[in-house]
Amino acid sequence: MKEIDCRGLACPAPVLQTKEAVEREHPNVIKVVVDNEASKENVSRFMKSQNLEVTIRQEGNDFHVIGTVGATPVGKAPVAETPEDAPKRIMVMVANDCMGHGDDELGEKLMLSFLKTLKEMGEDLWRLVFVNNGVKLTIRGSEVLSVIQEHDKAGIHILVCGTCLTHFNLLDQKRVGETTNMLDIVTAMQLADKVINI
Amino acid sequence: MCGIEFPTDSNVLVGLDRADDAGVYKVTDDIALIQTVDFFTPIVDDPYWFGQIAAANALSDVYAMGGVPKTAMNLVAFPIKEMDIAILRQIIKGGLDKMTEAGVVLIGGHSVEDKELKYGLSVTGFIHPDRILTKQNLKVGDRLVLTKPLGTGIVNTAVKGGLASADIIQRVTRLMATLNRDAAHIMGHYPVHACTDITGFGLLGHLAEMISDMPLGIRLISQEIPIIPEAVDYAGMGLVPAGAYKNREFRESMVDFALSVDRIVQDIFFDPQTSGGLLIGVEKDSAGGLVAELREKGIPEAAIIGEVVAEPKRRIEIH
Repeated sequence: MKEIDCRGLACPAPVLQTKEAVEREHPNVIKVVVDNEASKENVSRFMKSQNLEVTIRQEGNDFHVIGTVGATPVGKAPVAETPEDAPKRIMVMVANDCMGHGDDELGEKLMLSFLKTLKEMGEDLWRLVFVNNGVKLTIRGSEVLSVIQEHDKAGIHILVCGTCLTHFNLLDQKRVGETTNMLDIVTAMQLADKVINI
Repeated sequence: MCGIEFPTDSNVLVGLDRADDAGVYKVTDDIALIQTVDFFTPIVDDPYWFGQIAAANALSDVYAMGGVPKTAMNLVAFPIKEMDIAILRQIIKGGLDKMTEAGVVLIGGHSVEDKELKYGLSVTGFIHPDRILTKQNLKVGDRLVLTKPLGTGIVNTAVKGGLASADIIQRVTRLMATLNRDAAHIMGHYPVHACTDITGFGLLGHLAEMISDMPLGIRLISQEIPIIPEAVDYAGMGLVPAGAYKNREFRESMVDFALSVDRIVQDIFFDPQTSGGLLIGVEKDSAGGLVAELREKGIPEAAIIGEVVAEPKRRIEIH
């Protein structure tokens, strides 16, 4: 393992030393010791740009930034890496018809604003799942129905909990999304890169 | 400067009580004096261009207040024992050429011996007391116009690391040496409510100053914000100056990024700028005209980057 002590050095010196070591020696593992946040962030960013796997350990006031050449098993094609700009899969799970606790009137407004603003996630927004009281947002007369329908049109996968609709006796009033079950929801959670609970 | 009491004077129109680009002192009902001082260590290798950039940077504070600079004095710290005096001559010449371009007269200066080279100006200008543009007067609905692309701090870090090409060094040098005079002159014909210039705190740091005491928020459109394309590449390699991280740490709590705004682009919005552009808050209906005129008159990267909103207050949302 190659080790470089960059403590006491200001940006961009730690990145330049790391760059030189990587380009000259092609180490399988390189450890760079830095003593400030900016250098930690910059060195780890540089290592990532060189396709190294990065782990960071804090030791007292120092950071050990360790870059490892990706371990690809022999005979196996390199795993197609997800490019940085490929969409993430973000699943948003809505378990209530208002956002947060306290004032329900405010909570309803916030929920409307939240669902509208979700489109800012762009292509990263993957699935919208409604459970428990959340299913009431998907039925006829819901203030946010048109917003959810827009997400549906935009190709976001909308899932609505069937058990919940049945419980509230709303099965025939649902106006958007696919009725689903717990297995679908659990599978979706497993596939998602990130699950956000509301 | 906590713990020190400063005297007050009713003729001080802009003073220490609120951090603005320059101080303003009323002389008569029609004339107010603008004063500012700025100096720094070299950011480019070429002494002549360093002189130009330092002068453009110091003059910018007067332009950001809506004023016209008239006179200046040189501030010089120079390691006379180790460095050739010809270097200093080049720096002074660069500064002087920039002052001449700005219609500013050099009327004096002071130099000291110092281990580290520094150069800058003390600048005096004039403005009508009713036409002062501070950072504090944004109104809901105003559009925000930025006149120079961001990323000079990151590019300068790459220059320091010897990783920038001659071409990009030249482009960014010229950008930093460009006076904000024309932008300031043009904005004088539009209903502008507030203005500042983008320097060490980066775009978001300076924007945060503009709303921290106001019942206002800001909405920015990330894709509309002009940036130097190479800054994205350099930031991705980890060539981000420590100042950008400090700016982020200081103002992060006021800023909300949409998930679609890449971390690298976020760093560019916090990147400390040298001799950056003007950030202008102008009435909504005039913003398009202002940008069109700026572009037409040699400021091609001027753009509307966002707007002032009523809610959420004291927050900057970036979409």
